[in-house]
Amino acid sequence: MPSKIFLGLDVGSVSTKVVAIDALGHVLARSYLPTQGQPIVAIQSALREIARALPPGVPVAGVATTGSGRVMASALVGADVVKNEITAHATATLRVLPSVRTIIEIGGQDSKIILLNHGVVTDFAMNTVCAAGTGSFLDRQAHRLGVPITELGELALKAASPTRIAGRCAVFAESDMIHKQQTGHSLSDIVAGLCEALVRNYLSNVAKGKTIAGPVSFQGGVAANVGILKAFESALALPIIVPEHYDVMGALGVAYLAQPTAGQTRFRGFGVVAADCQVKGEDCDGCGNRCEVVGFRIDGRVQAYWGDRCGKYSHVNYLSVGT
Amino acid sequence: MIVGVPRALLYYVYYPLWRRFFAELEVGCILSPPTNEAIMNAGARAVVDEACAPVKIAMGHVLALAPEVDYVLVPRFVSVEPRTYICPKLMGLPDMIRQSGQKMPPLLAPDIDMSKGYLGLARALMETSRCLEKGLWSTVRSFHHSLAEMRRIKHKLIAGLTPEEAFHGTNRRRKPGRRLRIAVLGHPYNVYDPLLSMNIVERLRAEGIDVITAEMLPLEHISLGLSQLRKKLFWSLSKMVLGAGLYFVNHAAEVDGIILLSSFGCGLESLVADLLERHARRQEFPFMQLTVDEHSGEAGLITRLEAFVETVEGRINNARNLSPHGDHELRHAGNP
Repeated sequence: MPSKIFLGLDVGSVSTKVVAIDALGHVLARSYLPTQGQPIVAIQSALREIARALPPGVPVAGVATTGSGRVMASALVGADVVKNEITAHATATLRVLPSVRTIIEIGGQDSKIILLNHGVVTDFAMNTVCAAGTGSFLDRQAHRLGVPITELGELALKAASPTRIAGRCAVFAESDMIHKQQTGHSLSDIVAGLCEALVRNYLSNVAKGKTIAGPVSFQGGVAANVGILKAFESALALPIIVPEHYDVMGALGVAYLAQPTAGQTRFRGFGVVAADCQVKGEDCDGCGNRCEVVGFRIDGRVQAYWGDRCGKYSHVNYLSVGT
Repeated sequence: MIVGVPRALLYYVYYPLWRRFFAELEVGCILSPPTNEAIMNAGARAVVDEACAPVKIAMGHVLALAPEVDYVLVPRFVSVEPRTYICPKLMGLPDMIRQSGQKMPPLLAPDIDMSKGYLGLARALMETSRCLEKGLWSTVRSFHHSLAEMRRIKHKLIAGLTPEEAFHGTNRRRKPGRRLRIAVLGHPYNVYDPLLSMNIVERLRAEGIDVITAEMLPLEHISLGLSQLRKKLFWSLSKMVLGAGLYFVNHAAEVDGIILLSSFGCGLESLVADLLERHARRQEFPFMQLTVDEHSGEAGLITRLEAFVETVEGRINNARNLSPHGDHELRHAGNP
């Protein structure tokens, strides 16, 4: 029975991940749920799953959040550490697979490359304004083709000769796929072509000009797709490791980052799963910026504000003021 | 008589010159407020759709000034040094504004062409003062004072002030952060525009980082950087960015990393960013390009900034653990 528990939350655009580890870093429980545009509900459901899976009576000694929803997640659960996704993924990978030199991470809206050397991040890049080739695009295409997203990869492996799909832009990729389907290419050839196009796009856009050294670790939700994995392997000619917890590596990474804080956690407790949370955006008319300031309340009490450029609302510590 | 100066584009370089020039001519001069969402939106609505965000912002500033002034100053910058040119979108700005169909006072739009020498600037100022019905002698006197003002401001910039600080009375530089020293490069209207840059300079400073920009470098350093190139660049704005970048890459002790901030769709930057990145990579120098546009989502920018700062710190700590020389703190203490 563990003596302490550390929680890591990764609130992404498409999925919400929560991991619970013990003091030695072993994963005790994990949850992976779709965010579905309602991050608060997703966090609460994920925490409920985690609470159910954990042994009762063991105290939570530290909590950390990451992902694009990390600020709100922190306001909701009371986090000790709030970290960006790059550091989170690098931390998890260095603990689980210390020899890895390159991390390929493809999530719902973001894709990243992280280069590691001697246990530190030496370089990284993220996709620019375009989300072509990320998980949400694959999701959409799977839906359009009527194939469950979980079977997309297997279908790609069945391809006899993958067709060539333009992967530069999601809109063009889609029209290209429709064109190929209308000229009679098999579904598996088209899906395999899509996998190759995504990998090509990733290597030329995100990994542009970076030296990819092995061993390579492929993570993020898209790493579940064996078609993409195979396309990466053939494009890079390097062994690629998909870690056991590939889909929750960000959450795992921040859980590790929460460990040093053990003792004085700000965690509100698993009671937050039932808390009545209100998030309300209001236009501030203090200046021409007209920021949409978001107020976050639990049971009617203001916990935090964000979204203001000037810091008039967000720089106040509402918990100590007691508003 | 009042002339309005839009707080946009080359304002971040030449405002002191205009301010002094108009003051000497005894012409009133007002400045539009710092860019805000309302200005950007108004500009984006009025300008051609393929304009970059800085041009949209400039249009917004012109519209913000329009009801309050007799003239709006929109110089047509063609060239500011021999055989070197300014971006064509900036060159065409006065025409773009005139053709926008918006109601506004007459533009003061002198052609500034110094491709054949400084006389081009004198000619432009003469044209401006003729429009304002001022005499020859007061113009010549104002011209000299304006140039002196530009030199005075350059000293302030070299001392580490941003253009806004140098232009608007901040005389002493705040204590620079000691955590890291990072160069933020880019066209000045990207780097210093509070909305477009999402206050990148202030954000980094708040994290204890000493920020240095291309404008804060003496021109000799820029030239030294450019001497790395086999061919001459003929875009002035890119020369500043690339010259500063190459200088830092080859004088690694000066800064710990480079962030290049560029506007989405900038033609000049599409070449220069890649060139600088190649040089940086060859020297294994920390480099990151950030592309900004009208979108206001700050999360993406914050994530990248945080990750970059942590990456640079990680590398430094790692190097310190591995090698007995190169103490980071000591090196910084020696910097001005």
